[in-house]
Amino acid sequence: MNLPSTVPTEAYLVLSAILFGIGAMGVMLRKSALTMFMSVELMLNAVNLSFVAFARHFGRLDGQIIVFFVMAVAAAEVAVGLAIIVDIFRSRRSVDIDDVNWLRG
Amino acid sequence: MEFVVFAVFAAISVTAALFMVLQRNAMYSALFLVLNFFCFAVFFILLGAYFLAVVQVAVYAGAIMVLMLFVIMLLNVAYPEPLDKVLGFLRPFGVVTAVVFAVVLAGVGLASKMGDNASILPTIADPSSGAGIMLKGVGAAEAGHVQEVAATLFSRYLFPFEVTSVLLLAAILGASVLVRKRAEHA
Repeated sequence: MNLPSTVPTEAYLVLSAILFGIGAMGVMLRKSALTMFMSVELMLNAVNLSFVAFARHFGRLDGQIIVFFVMAVAAAEVAVGLAIIVDIFRSRRSVDIDDVNWLRG
Repeated sequence: MEFVVFAVFAAISVTAALFMVLQRNAMYSALFLVLNFFCFAVFFILLGAYFLAVVQVAVYAGAIMVLMLFVIMLLNVAYPEPLDKVLGFLRPFGVVTAVVFAVVLAGVGLASKMGDNASILPTIADPSSGAGIMLKGVGAAEAGHVQEVAATLFSRYLFPFEVTSVLLLAAILGASVLVRKRAEHA
């Protein structure tokens, strides 16, 4: 069995797809808003991985720059999202999304 | 060698991701996610994106996960989460959907191996078609060095970079407004 010297881009794409799928499964299966949040982070990271893989594949830096922006947006998203979760917890004493089925607070 | 490292860390990251999703204690989920973020940093190094690998550890594994763990401890929700109260019978469909989704995405990634072409991915970017910056005289392994990333970020992507600062300011304001004590709530 001879291994290629460098990892092909396709391998990274497949790994990225698997991790994205696991993240999507987490969003669909979990009932805790916090864990769903972490699953979304996993999906974002899986997409970042394919961005960087394509950046190497095409020999361009643009993919890496986009990942940089995705990280900045993810940081902003986590700050606001966790604030919303804390707010929900204050009014309902729970972060279970099954308890959050009303639009009014 | 590179392939061995990739295979080992791919196995670790997929296992950690599965544990994260299937773990019913939010605290353990968060710790498995940190392990996953470190695996991503290793992949970034393998892909030559050294700057992003450092940012991955500092921002994701550092800042974002500390915030996440802080909220888990603050709300004290690390106990095993209760099972579904509504629509619990739809649970298997979630797994099936996710697996089909991953298989389709992976199939697209692997499509090159099944087709007659060697690869559906063009190996050399056509400079006339894309709007990206071609790396001239820079080896692929050096593409992620801070110098090149900074040169691109502060020239071509200067405007998005500045917009990011407005976004972060809006996030700070939004988070402060959301968690402040309200008279009618307290």
